[in-house]
Amino acid sequence: MNTHVKITNVESADLSRRSFLVGTAAAGLALGYSAVPGLDSALAATAPAHFDPSVWYSIAPDGLVTVTCGKADMGQHIASTMAQIVCEELGANWKDMRVQLASNDPKFNDPVLGAQITGGSWSTMMNFDAMSRAGAAGRIALTEAASASMGVPAGELVVRDGVISHPKSKKQMSFADIVKSGKATKTFTADELKAITLKTPDRYTLIGVSVPQLDIPSKTNGTAKYGIDVMLPGMAYGAVVTPPVRFGATVKSVDDSAAKKVPGFIKAVTLDDKTGTTTGWVVAVANTFAGAKKAADALKIAYDGGPNAKLSSESLFTEAKRLQGLDDSGQFFVKDGDTQAAFGTAAKTLEAEYTTNINIHAPMEPMNATAEFKGDILHIYSGNQFATRSGAIAAGAAGIDPKFVVMHQMWLGGGFGRRLDADMMVPAVQAAKAVGRPVKVIYSRENDMTMDFSRPLTYQKVKAGLDADGRLIALNHDVVSAWPTARWGIPDFLSPSVDKKGPLDAFTVNGSDFFYSVPNHNVRAIKNEMAHNATPSGQLRSVAPGWTFWAVESMIDEIAAATGKDPAQLRISLLDGAGKNDGGAQRLRNTLLAAMGLAGYGTKKLPKGEGMGVACVSSQERATASWTACVAHVAVASSGEVTVKKLTVATDVGTQVHPDNIRAQVEGAALWGMSLAMFEKATLKDGGIEQTNFDTYTPLRMSQMPEVAVSVIANGEKATGVGEPAVTVVAPAIGNAVFNAVGARVRSLPITAEAVKAAMKA
Amino acid sequence: MPNLNINGRNVSVDAAGDSPLLWAIREQLQMTGTKFGCGAGLCGACTVHVNGEAVRSCQTMVSDVVGKKVVTIEGLSTKSDHPLQKAWITEQVPQCGYCQSGQIMQAAALLAKNTNPTREEVVEHMNGNLCRCMTYSRIQKAIMRAASEMRTASNVSGDRRAT
Repeated sequence: MNTHVKITNVESADLSRRSFLVGTAAAGLALGYSAVPGLDSALAATAPAHFDPSVWYSIAPDGLVTVTCGKADMGQHIASTMAQIVCEELGANWKDMRVQLASNDPKFNDPVLGAQITGGSWSTMMNFDAMSRAGAAGRIALTEAASASMGVPAGELVVRDGVISHPKSKKQMSFADIVKSGKATKTFTADELKAITLKTPDRYTLIGVSVPQLDIPSKTNGTAKYGIDVMLPGMAYGAVVTPPVRFGATVKSVDDSAAKKVPGFIKAVTLDDKTGTTTGWVVAVANTFAGAKKAADALKIAYDGGPNAKLSSESLFTEAKRLQGLDDSGQFFVKDGDTQAAFGTAAKTLEAEYTTNINIHAPMEPMNATAEFKGDILHIYSGNQFATRSGAIAAGAAGIDPKFVVMHQMWLGGGFGRRLDADMMVPAVQAAKAVGRPVKVIYSRENDMTMDFSRPLTYQKVKAGLDADGRLIALNHDVVSAWPTARWGIPDFLSPSVDKKGPLDAFTVNGSDFFYSVPNHNVRAIKNEMAHNATPSGQLRSVAPGWTFWAVESMIDEIAAATGKDPAQLRISLLDGAGKNDGGAQRLRNTLLAAMGLAGYGTKKLPKGEGMGVACVSSQERATASWTACVAHVAVASSGEVTVKKLTVATDVGTQVHPDNIRAQVEGAALWGMSLAMFEKATLKDGGIEQTNFDTYTPLRMSQMPEVAVSVIANGEKATGVGEPAVTVVAPAIGNAVFNAVGARVRSLPITAEAVKAAMKA
Repeated sequence: MPNLNINGRNVSVDAAGDSPLLWAIREQLQMTGTKFGCGAGLCGACTVHVNGEAVRSCQTMVSDVVGKKVVTIEGLSTKSDHPLQKAWITEQVPQCGYCQSGQIMQAAALLAKNTNPTREEVVEHMNGNLCRCMTYSRIQKAIMRAASEMRTASNVSGDRRAT
């Protein structure tokens, strides 16, 4: 079972053993951990030119507090959230808070993960404690300095809105005054930092308040800078030409005679990608992007299609079925009890296949990167979710040591997992090297879609065994897919298998280790090597729970139908909290009840052709779950066409830092779930992705948006993630609603009118 | 070199007449608020105004706008205080924010002609603008808020004229 991700082979921040320093530097107060490269020198620096403000946060002599966010901000406002957590304990005024984005310096690594990676809806839960303690340490140091300056006991001081006051004497000092005094200097040992008593939730004045997000104004007037907006002196532009085959093609020859006639054309560069990220790519470099694109279109390139050139979605499904049928395929992720024996005693068995098609991230900002060689240093400008690995890929493309790569983080024009990958670094680096100038490479939408590290095509087989009373006593669940995380080549991102057959990619099966009590339960993770090679897959918003719950939550409804039970009541009975499910199961049950209540589930008879369906999930991982339930209300026409009338989502997030942001994330995630369930489908043909732009790959538009109701449960437990879980609950809720409306069971995503109509007849 | 009028300024751009306006704005004029999304007029991220009409600058050639007035997000207001920009902040619309320049420019063209749109009119007018973060409900709310503010403002100024 995937209890937690621990990356130990990446340079670890391991803040647990480090002292926390508060010190006056030339340009203000710097706060951060010791023995972190740069911080000691920052504190020791005397000349402003040497001051490195890139620590966890700093306070300038004017009182402005700048928090450096080591997380990629792709619209989840995580930079603002980090500032909010610091601000709560520091006692600063929200209007004085600023944020900046970190470089790939290891000092900005995640305190839990030990690397710079943003995903899994992990950021708030894994940084809440560290940021709180950083804020509190700053408040303590400032208070002690104020106490010394005012000549009053520190215990009598009140910190509020960036001002430290002494009510008895009516003396006060602002943070700015204290910073200017230069007296706030303090070192906390690791134990002292750990011993700081943090505020209890009843004392919060900022956590739980929907403060204005710090990044939003710049996103209403065009001033927010994304990777694509980077401009460097002397910069050239690169447009990539990608082969007709997604992976495995090679360039046989390039004829640039027509490209040479394009004004401003510089060079066509065939990539030599030793990182194995891209195959058969060519970059056309020119003085302008329009020129580069024109030149790219004019290149005549001959390819060898390679080993995957004849594969299609159908071949990947066929291979998946073949693998599932073998007794010795894959590895066990869950092996509870003895399913084989239990099936032997079962009064009834149900079997079903569930599939999902290839899905494309398609963030609105197409992939891009700008590379500049300056002395020994390679500078990369790009919005990226995994600076630690992407820097290494850039180094690999350049043939240099990763320590010579500086990644400059930008705002991300959408991430959704796509920017965990680093393919865009390769053409930028090799083009910059080839032409001796900084180069900005921008993918066309066609490059972006056909070369996506997609959500893999998945095939799942689920077999359920029921006893004579209709109780679920056994469940076998096989999951066959490409393995997105295995592709990274970082062993610690893989999980040991229960049957000790070597590591498996838990990011293909997370969610299948659910909180229902099923005494005999097997989950097999089976790698579809053919799909893995032909369609290099990636982490798409919510990853495995996006397909595992499609299967599990559909099957639970099939069991309810087969045993004449109400699907919601069946779930409640399975969420009994027995044994290892204690705690989580009850939270999930309560969340389901909340969604049912908000949706009016079962309270009135719906018109003919309409139905409600429920689903509940423990996304993302079992150990990092946000408890999320959905009631979908649909209307199904006789043509099979499905209209989603309303999605009601309830989610238990423990502690809410920013209620409005949680609602925005949950609503966005729910609509993503619906878009994947209804509108988004990519297909492989002759080794290439057929869909190239938003005319054929069609995410949800405004006119297709249903009513969305969100209920957020904040019960004081630890803060959990909100960016992804609601994605995963929607597809099964819609599928179950369709069944309840017209009796048609659909087992493949996306749900099409044809499939519904066919199932209605069956 | 073609001469263009952009945000009230006359500028000459070093761009071929048959190249997209989008790249001339972004690269030659270094105004990067207008975004590239699809290059095919399918997403709306590159929306600007040409003589007051919302157009896709990736599908508009430089030569098409010679002698016309082009307005980008940078020129929509002098202090980022167009009613839509204020409403976008009040409703906390943007997530990643990448599509929002285009959304605001598309909406501004509607409100310039109709400060009292119905929900259906808003959806019809905005449906060509994709938002991958799916902020659609907040976009709608912000447009309605801005429309309401514009109606109030015009009533006030109307009253002033009357007195």
